[in-house]
Amino acid sequence: MAHAEAAAKFNENEAKVNWHDKALWFVRQKRDKQAHKIQGWEQLRDYASALKANVLSNLDNYLVQFEENAKKNGVTVHWAANAEEHNKIIHSILQKHNAKKIVKSKSMLTEECHLNPFLEANDIEVIDTDLGERIVQLAKEPPSHIVLPAIHKTKEEVDELFQEHLGTKPSGGNPEYLTREARKHLRNKFLQADAAITGVNFAVADTGGFVVCTNEGNADMGAHLAKVHIACMGMEKLIPQEKHLGIFLRLLARSATGQPITTYSSYFNKPEEGKEMHIIIVDNGRTEQLSREDFRRSLHCIRCGACMNTCPIYRRSGGHSYDATIPGPIGSILSPGKDLTKHSSLPFASTLCGSCSDVCPVKINIHEQLYKWRQIIVKDVPQPTVKKNIMKAAGSILAKPKTYDFVGKSTRFMLKHTPKSLINSKINTWGHARDLPEVKGDNFEEWYKKRQKNE
Amino acid sequence: MSRESILKAVKANKPETLSLPDIDLSVFDEDINLIERFKENIEFVGGRLLELDGLATLDEEIKTLYPEAKKIVSCMKESALGTVPVSKETDPHTLEDIDLTIIKGNFAVAENGAVWVSEDDMVVRALPFITNDLILVVPKNAVNLHMHQIFDAISERERTFGTFISGPSKTADIEQCLVVGAHGAISLTVVLF
Repeated sequence: MAHAEAAAKFNENEAKVNWHDKALWFVRQKRDKQAHKIQGWEQLRDYASALKANVLSNLDNYLVQFEENAKKNGVTVHWAANAEEHNKIIHSILQKHNAKKIVKSKSMLTEECHLNPFLEANDIEVIDTDLGERIVQLAKEPPSHIVLPAIHKTKEEVDELFQEHLGTKPSGGNPEYLTREARKHLRNKFLQADAAITGVNFAVADTGGFVVCTNEGNADMGAHLAKVHIACMGMEKLIPQEKHLGIFLRLLARSATGQPITTYSSYFNKPEEGKEMHIIIVDNGRTEQLSREDFRRSLHCIRCGACMNTCPIYRRSGGHSYDATIPGPIGSILSPGKDLTKHSSLPFASTLCGSCSDVCPVKINIHEQLYKWRQIIVKDVPQPTVKKNIMKAAGSILAKPKTYDFVGKSTRFMLKHTPKSLINSKINTWGHARDLPEVKGDNFEEWYKKRQKNE
Repeated sequence: MSRESILKAVKANKPETLSLPDIDLSVFDEDINLIERFKENIEFVGGRLLELDGLATLDEEIKTLYPEAKKIVSCMKESALGTVPVSKETDPHTLEDIDLTIIKGNFAVAENGAVWVSEDDMVVRALPFITNDLILVVPKNAVNLHMHQIFDAISERERTFGTFISGPSKTADIEQCLVVGAHGAISLTVVLF
């Protein structure tokens, strides 16, 4: 389904859309407050962007350096070319330990690789331990936001889910009660887990260590209790040196949720005695994106979600309307690189207002890349006939000033004298929810000329 | 394993080398009262700050704050409140009903209310997360302005595990309502002395 159709479906519940819109805008405002509170915010963004650009330009060497250091620390490093290999590596580690119960903290990469269904098909229980992710897991849905996975769910919906799956009492959606119950439920899972899977926020080339950030403490609860810790990282998560964590940790949470830092920023270097630590470095299309000059900067992304919170389209269409692992503006420039036909409507899910680029902590030129994808898509992917013809007609009218003038005049005349029921007929999608503005007698040029004469 | 093919593809596809930026940390300087800013931030993230003149009254203050705590782990010799001893060999699963844990923090960060806790100080990695309530005890002169200073300060350590903790565990995953105490500690008190 194209984005616009899916968005229309989300918009059927107006009250919910309004709440979604406001809730995310509130997060954006919190981000602004935190950003303005510290000295040198723009400088931080510049440094982060330059660091990521350096990483991409030297990625092979950094990867080798990281691997070498991680191995010295007693960590096992694996390489996966694609999702299938990633899943197989995890399965083989789990098999070796006869691990049947797995806890997993948030990792968009494992979503991208569809790890959960793969493990479940192999008789392995995998529990998402971030509360939002647990909610969508119980609802059998994908996350709709990379930082706020259940932002599309009302508290009443969560209440019902928990009654059904966790046996809670009806509470009318009391967040305090539901969170306490989830804590009890998941604490048991942590205590029983044979292995823990986490994502990686930053991997440090010069130490071989990696950082995992959470607010709930779920990554740490899993990793420190289970015998085996498997950390899955996209290859672009590298940063050159430990001291650069200072830059990125200052940017991440402020951009994501408007917190000065996440509650926990845990820095893993060595496994505990008697335990195992594995890192899986995953490509899955990233080297291909690296080859595209116009789009490689999308690999700077640190997955904060700021572009989603600020996007007027995302806020009013919901994450699921993108039908992609990463929704929103950043997802709309990443996804076409993976499957151009499937995701061809995403770069059009934007007003090109540029707000996403303005808030991006690593200065990805998101709106420019959206525009560039459009140029490719209209050439490579068949476009709807109506759209194609309108564009063609508009092109020829706009190219000839006299025709433009004539068409303008006649349109103004028609809009003035045609009944509203006809103007807002079915084919005018604009008119479904709103009226056209009142028609004035002159166009801008005429108005301007008259004004000059009067002076 | 796809190691070689991935590295080969990266080499072929990467852009021309761009140098590392020269980072001028002076642009992040701020002339502020570090303790005040730290306090502001620790309260913003849902934690509590307790300022003491020394550690002589530490246990007394803790008992007033947490009168109900029975199973207590103390990881510092300055507190004698510990009732459950721990060592590197402790199975973390046995710590699931710990009421209160007291740990030394080596550094604090004014800009975000975080405290750096190293593996040596927490003894068992799971401890600061699995405990019901957490107390971090930090010297006043260990409060730094920002994260850059901290990474400088901890650069010489033995790297095993360490964590920045800023406030109690929390979530807002149900309709964006903030609830404190998701999986980790339900409350956090930072003692500055």
